[in-house]
Amino acid sequence: MKKSNVKNLVKLNIILLIPFLIYGLYKNGYLIYMKGLISGYMVFKPLYLTLISLIIKVVVDLFIYKKVKIDYNLVYLILVSLIMPYNINLIVYSITLLITYLLTLFLSKHFKFNNVCFMYLILILVNYLFNGLSFLNPMEAKYTFSFSSLDILMGRSVGGISSTSIILSLLVFSYYTFNFYYKKDIPLFINLTYLILTFIYFLITKDNNFIINSEVIFGSIFISTLPMFSPGKRILQILYAILIGLLTFILIFITGKIISIYLATFAVSLLINVKIRQKSPK
Amino acid sequence: MRTLIKLEENPEVLIVSNVTSFLNPTFVYVPTLDYAIKEDTKFFKDTYLKDNIISISGYLEGIDEKLYNNKLTKVYKIHNDYKEHNLKRLRKVKIKDLLELQKLLEDNFLSNLSNKLKGSFKDLVVTCFDEEIYEMNEFMILYNNYKEILKMLDLLRSLLNLEVAYIAIKNTNAKSIKKVRSIIGTYPNLKLVLLPDKYLMSMDENVSSYLNLKVDDTLVLKTTEIDMMESLIEGKFLDHKYITVSGDALKKSLIIDTKLGVSLKEIEEEFLKIKPCEYNIYYNGYLQGEKVNSEDLIITKDTSSIVFKRKEDVEEECINCGACNKICPQNINVLKCFKDNLRSKRCLNCGLCNYICPANINLKERIKDD
Repeated sequence: MKKSNVKNLVKLNIILLIPFLIYGLYKNGYLIYMKGLISGYMVFKPLYLTLISLIIKVVVDLFIYKKVKIDYNLVYLILVSLIMPYNINLIVYSITLLITYLLTLFLSKHFKFNNVCFMYLILILVNYLFNGLSFLNPMEAKYTFSFSSLDILMGRSVGGISSTSIILSLLVFSYYTFNFYYKKDIPLFINLTYLILTFIYFLITKDNNFIINSEVIFGSIFISTLPMFSPGKRILQILYAILIGLLTFILIFITGKIISIYLATFAVSLLINVKIRQKSPK
Repeated sequence: MRTLIKLEENPEVLIVSNVTSFLNPTFVYVPTLDYAIKEDTKFFKDTYLKDNIISISGYLEGIDEKLYNNKLTKVYKIHNDYKEHNLKRLRKVKIKDLLELQKLLEDNFLSNLSNKLKGSFKDLVVTCFDEEIYEMNEFMILYNNYKEILKMLDLLRSLLNLEVAYIAIKNTNAKSIKKVRSIIGTYPNLKLVLLPDKYLMSMDENVSSYLNLKVDDTLVLKTTEIDMMESLIEGKFLDHKYITVSGDALKKSLIIDTKLGVSLKEIEEEFLKIKPCEYNIYYNGYLQGEKVNSEDLIITKDTSSIVFKRKEDVEEECINCGACNKICPQNINVLKCFKDNLRSKRCLNCGLCNYICPANINLKERIKDD
């Protein structure tokens, strides 16, 4: 068994996110550009979002620590850039992300909750005020598609700018299962709970719209498993995952199927950390 | 049986598989007595001061403070006169029963080993491998003294009235397997068993359960212990021992046959080449041992290894990954213990939590209950 360190875990996490960014550039850049729906420089919008995240990380680190640190904050910021809706305005994104990032740095000293979900939810709220709540890219907004199951697996469904590829998510998950540090029970039980509930719902209502949800798969693999905000003990991880799966299913009827996993993860992470803090006052 | 794992060793640490002798040190150190003795007092080789053997003959040069068994202790500094004067010689003894062997061990301050032999056993296993990574003492003792070890094991088997005794070697240790196989045919009551190369395999309960033996009825000994018994029977004093000095901060890792009471500094000056880097020293193993702050430590009969580990990673904030919980063979909630400042009596001091922690937190020190 090989020992790793925090830096290597962060690097691995980032490396495994790169294919998602490339897929995002293809789906939300190249394909739309080929249809003539966006200008040349907007082809790289997913990349711009990630670059803005990186710049914010570098600037804040230089300002606070006088050096750039490779820590989990880097992963958080990159993850946020991958799950953003296509219609987010780059300036709104930059300013809001900077403010929310600084806020999470301050708040994390006092409370513990899933930072990625927190930043994401604030950004979605601000974007809603400026552009409305839509995850459609210009092509999806203009045409009506009938996706086959393979299309959805490949990532052609509506969702975050670079997070829709289910195939990539499953590949990364299968790689991660061999990593000792990865909490593999969490995505397993989130998806299991979610699938069982949506299948029961399908049996009752014949509505299969929610069963395959790329955001639930991506969110459960990358965001719900972030070590800092999830429990350390296996039995608690399973309970945490079942709770997220359950809440995600409930929330799809309130917030829609894309945001539900992030809201559920945020709520449950907040709940368990408050619980743990109450139990063990220092 | 616990789920055991194989630990990955640093490929930079290659231990030279032959023994370097250091049997003529300039100084040896033994803990002081309660009463004062004059300077220049003559000490004879192989005499005991309390339960500590003086491994050379020489004269008292003064009193010093050194790390002795990892505790700062006042010690006599004895200057070697290189004459090897001793007052008594041991004779080869013929052991007829277990009581005689127990008495011989107790006379040589090995009451722990003697106590181990008390009780009734149905099985006897000798584990010939090192538990710690970066340690090769047991391997080397078997490799160099395999004939004597097998002979002694057979004698012990007959003293314990057992039909069969097992000699357990890790299945990756081809050199020792070859040596033992070449001779084990002459001992029809000894059986060679190969065990998987996994950490904590040499623990009594793991060995017993792997061999389908009852833990309470099985006597598990180490090669070192068999070797000590054999030496005493052959009339040799236990005034020297094998220690492994290894680590990635060293240019060359060595197995040293050294006199007891020698200072690590002297070994360092004589044999070790340290890379120009910052390093930590671990006494008695990287995993189960303890970090020491000084190189001013003395080799005692309880010393098995010294690890010079390059100081690469600084302790970071816990990332709550739970790897320590997952790896703990005792299923201790290490994370909770660490966060709530709790200690656990079940801790085996195996060091796996420290090994796996990506934030390099010294969890073992914080959770084990002394």
